[in-house]
Amino acid sequence: MAAFPLHCNFQGDFVLQLILVDSEDTMDEAAQKCAYHTVGRRVAPRPDKILRVRKHGGDSFFPRELKVADTGLRPTETIDVIFADS
Amino acid sequence: MALLKREDWYDLARTTSWTPSYVSEEVLFPEEMSGSRGIPMQVWETYDEPYKTSYPEYVSIQREKDAGTYSVKAALERAAFVDKADPGWVSTMIAHYGAIPLGEYLASIGEARMARFSKAPGNRNMAVFGMMDENRHTQLQLFFPHANIKRGRQWDWAHKALRTNEWAAVAARSLFDDITTARDAISTAIMLTFAFETGFTNMQFLGLAADAAETGDHTFASLISSIQTDESRHSQQGGPALKILIENGKQAEAQQLVDVAIWRSWKLFSVLTGPIMDYYTPVAGRKLSFKEFMLEWIVGQFERQLLDMGLEKPWYWDILMRDLDSTHHGMHLGVWFWRRTVWWNPAAGVTPEDREWLEAKYPGWNKNWGRCWDVITDNLLNGREALTHPETLPLICHMCNLPIACTPGDGWDGQDWPLEHAGRLYHFGSEVDRWCFEINPDQYKGHQTIVDRFLAGLILPPNLKGALKYMGLAPSEQGQDAHGYAWIEKFRAAKAAAA
Repeated sequence: MAAFPLHCNFQGDFVLQLILVDSEDTMDEAAQKCAYHTVGRRVAPRPDKILRVRKHGGDSFFPRELKVADTGLRPTETIDVIFADS
Repeated sequence: MALLKREDWYDLARTTSWTPSYVSEEVLFPEEMSGSRGIPMQVWETYDEPYKTSYPEYVSIQREKDAGTYSVKAALERAAFVDKADPGWVSTMIAHYGAIPLGEYLASIGEARMARFSKAPGNRNMAVFGMMDENRHTQLQLFFPHANIKRGRQWDWAHKALRTNEWAAVAARSLFDDITTARDAISTAIMLTFAFETGFTNMQFLGLAADAAETGDHTFASLISSIQTDESRHSQQGGPALKILIENGKQAEAQQLVDVAIWRSWKLFSVLTGPIMDYYTPVAGRKLSFKEFMLEWIVGQFERQLLDMGLEKPWYWDILMRDLDSTHHGMHLGVWFWRRTVWWNPAAGVTPEDREWLEAKYPGWNKNWGRCWDVITDNLLNGREALTHPETLPLICHMCNLPIACTPGDGWDGQDWPLEHAGRLYHFGSEVDRWCFEINPDQYKGHQTIVDRFLAGLILPPNLKGALKYMGLAPSEQGQDAHGYAWIEKFRAAKAAAA
């Protein structure tokens, strides 16, 4: 386990932010850490949606249980966090 | 004894080039300082400055101007305008005084470099006056806010800001270093005087002077419009330098210097002047929107001047036009949300009347920016003030040193423009910021943004408290909402009326 800095581009927000996750976090856990800094602060909650993570500008989401360490992401790389139906 | 007219002696007297015999020309004018780019001395001697003045004329005119400005200050001080002004306007002054005076001092260093190292005698002569201008501007803009230190410590940031690691001060220093203190004389003539001073100081000093007069702040209006008359003169040093570069096969290089300086200046003004004009200045005191000022003072002016000069509009002109609708709204929201990290008290500027004005000037504002402000307003109305503060850092652009912001809400377009260079991952707020880096990486590659410093362990403890300490912000200096959240009461009243 190790601290892993990422930058988060959160759907609907106005700014990209530094988010410290853990290398063992799953994508769902990482998304929640990103949401903590955005949802309810500048973006309204969307309880009918779940949060999915993708490589910045990518066209497909990472599997929800995939760990940060296994994504191939580099420290300080940017991820997109998107409200999705599934 | 009759005195010769200035035009009878000026050209001869200011042509102070000579043939050195004790050292070579290369030693007298090192290329890294003079930037002559292989163009011979005789060609630089054809540099023809459009504005000519002599030392006695300069002293006489400036003495009169400064006396007038100091008189206005002395006369109006008794009226204690600052105590009665809208807090948003007070923030405007405190933000301006922190960002500008020591930037003026840095400009005097750039002017001094031209005065000593430019191979163009006319440039050297004009730069001596420019150097004195910038020193006077520093003194004036340190003296005026000093009178208000008794009203609060934020006013002391006129002296302090650029000596700290406060993020906005880092961004300002980064620009001023790039176009002023870390370039050769000819690059400085083009980047500082042509690109920065021709347009952007016009907007800060004349545009803001118009808002100041409308707001009733005649001291500030008198000060900054007086300064701009100097800027208008010494900003003319860049044009003749550009002409020589273009005529001697250096057009592409000249264009690149102009393009980098205009973009970098635009980004700094988007955080400094944009929020002031569209949010801090009370609606009744706003002459034009920031976008309208930009279109009139920057876009129109540069388009004419560049084409007249034989240059082209910067390649990114369409991107700039698009960003006039968005960039400064993000900068404003960022400054307000991270308000404890700035030396002034940001005015939210989003009352129902403000939002109506913003929607009229920037159609779609409510469904984009308004979405974020809806959440913030709701939090304040329901006692959740803690959620209107951040608990992390924004991603900072490795070129402009400002947050990487985007259009939020329905028009969300968040984007990072990353680049790997020599094994290091850099982040940029736009393709233009990234282009500035890519064409000259050695100029920028070693810089560490606030985020880099945080991750490198330079900010301790690694939290907001540590960041505020690192930035030199004492508790009484940290920004707060300028109106103490009074602006939400109109929403509360509307909600109660609707219930």
